[in-house]
Amino acid sequence: MMIVLFLLFVSIASAKNVLVVTADASDFILAAGGSISAMVAGGDRAILVRVTNDDKDSWRLPPEETASRTKAEVEQAAKILGITQVHSLGYRADELGGVSPTEIRDRILFYIRLLKPDVLFIPNPYAEYDEVLDRFYTGLAAEEARQAAALPNFQLPFAKAGLQPHVTRELYYYAQPFDPRRREAESTATFTPQPKVVGIAPTFDKKLRAAQALKTINYSMAMRIRRRLEDTGRKLPLLETADDAAVNKLVEINVRKLAEIAARDSPYKQAEEFMYAGPEFQVPQKLR
Amino acid sequence: MKILLLALIIPALAAAPLPLGKIPPGHILLVIEPHHDDHTTDYGMGGLIARFTDAGYESWYARASNDEKDGASGYPLNDMINLRESEAATRILGMKGVYSLNWRNDYMDPIPLQELRAQLILLIRKHRPDVVLSHDPWGHYDRNPDHRKIARAVAEAVWMAGLPNVHPEHLALGLEPYRVPYLFLKARVDYGRGHHPNVAMELTKSQVERKQKAYVTHLNVYAHPSMARNIRQQLQAEKLTVPEFEGKTDEEAAVLIEEWYMDWISRKRGAENGVRYAEVYWYRDEFDYLPGLKDYISTNAVK
Repeated sequence: MMIVLFLLFVSIASAKNVLVVTADASDFILAAGGSISAMVAGGDRAILVRVTNDDKDSWRLPPEETASRTKAEVEQAAKILGITQVHSLGYRADELGGVSPTEIRDRILFYIRLLKPDVLFIPNPYAEYDEVLDRFYTGLAAEEARQAAALPNFQLPFAKAGLQPHVTRELYYYAQPFDPRRREAESTATFTPQPKVVGIAPTFDKKLRAAQALKTINYSMAMRIRRRLEDTGRKLPLLETADDAAVNKLVEINVRKLAEIAARDSPYKQAEEFMYAGPEFQVPQKLR
Repeated sequence: MKILLLALIIPALAAAPLPLGKIPPGHILLVIEPHHDDHTTDYGMGGLIARFTDAGYESWYARASNDEKDGASGYPLNDMINLRESEAATRILGMKGVYSLNWRNDYMDPIPLQELRAQLILLIRKHRPDVVLSHDPWGHYDRNPDHRKIARAVAEAVWMAGLPNVHPEHLALGLEPYRVPYLFLKARVDYGRGHHPNVAMELTKSQVERKQKAYVTHLNVYAHPSMARNIRQQLQAEKLTVPEFEGKTDEEAAVLIEEWYMDWISRKRGAENGVRYAEVYWYRDEFDYLPGLKDYISTNAVK
């Protein structure tokens, strides 16, 4: 009995806080959902900060209803992955280019100091050829927030309210595989993330179910594919009846293929790929 | 021996040709660039636009800035001359017309991205282009603020134009949401890691010739007589002559030099990619934005 209690204590004491920052609802699921779910399964606690309200991405729904439905759906998706809290910042989707980067940074900084994460997942702002620039703006702001959260001279009022500077020791940059140079190692300077591939076979089903929970976005994607094909005299038999089953199947094909792409040249069959900066990268090479 | 092997292998790898691209199916082309002359620079587009024209495309040019700083005639006159030359040059390439958005030249960094993007979304919904040609937002080391701004606005406008919740006021004009399926992006390939082309577009001699003519139509900024004068002085100092310059004015000689330059760069890109003439681009196919689905759609879509 004592041994069991001891192991339980060790497990709780070594559990990490994982903070996931996402621009849009589907970003973190498609690029990092399996890894986040695996961390939770291993005893870690995960929390999501969602920057936009996803009000644009639907099929024939007004922005208000799109935002409302997607909020509920992303909360459901997060629950499937084991994420315990979702904080939606509520910026209008696809409008982050007009928002002060410092404002977004400081809102993320707030959560870093509040939740004191050991691990941070953020969109990779250096991933090229991703046309959804919300991910770029969010990634830049989050990267800067991680740095600024550790420095006491940033946001002095936060400290007065009890939010102390905090160092997040592990950082995962995630992205969908648009960038042909994404696997190229960066230079070996002090703080330089490097490519990391994580196997996700044990948590793949949870990732898939989380992706399928985003019904509004998924239906919109399916209908846009169908419309494009119809406009050019083609059709996809799967989408002839774009019902729940067909859309879920489409999402499954997408998620499986993404896992296969990420697993290329790795020992895994299903994976996610990141640029990763762990604690070891924070010690200058010359001092090791 | 190892060094010898490396010396042989490295140039071979560096010279690996790009795949030759095809003209995508469709009939409307929209070229969106910051400046009057960007449609036909040494690093892209004039030849490809001529190729689109030959393939039956109707094409339009949107220049975002007023080009007031390009030329020696002062702000307002430069603007007027550059617009006129832009219209003449695009006609040579077979284009239908020029839209001037008239943002202040080289001052585009602080302009509202959303406002510029909204203009582009309106143009996209109006013309419903099958192809957009523009500047690559991921090209490195581009020092020009207008290039960066337009590239970023285009990156979003091409897909956001397809979402009905984006600028729903456009729908009141009878415009429908429309996502641009095909995209060609250009940037300098000689800046650091630079632009990362994934396709070479082969050109014919006739297409290169139209590119040459379109380029030298921009006399306000290219083919300065002083350039030919300097070259002639240098040649004279070295007791050399170029027969083609004989009997030509400095301006005519300058035009000839610029035409040779366009021919040379088109041949160079061609030689790098196994054809006589070419231009290189980053090409995005219609479903590349869905990396997990594009293979499935391409395999399973039926007519």
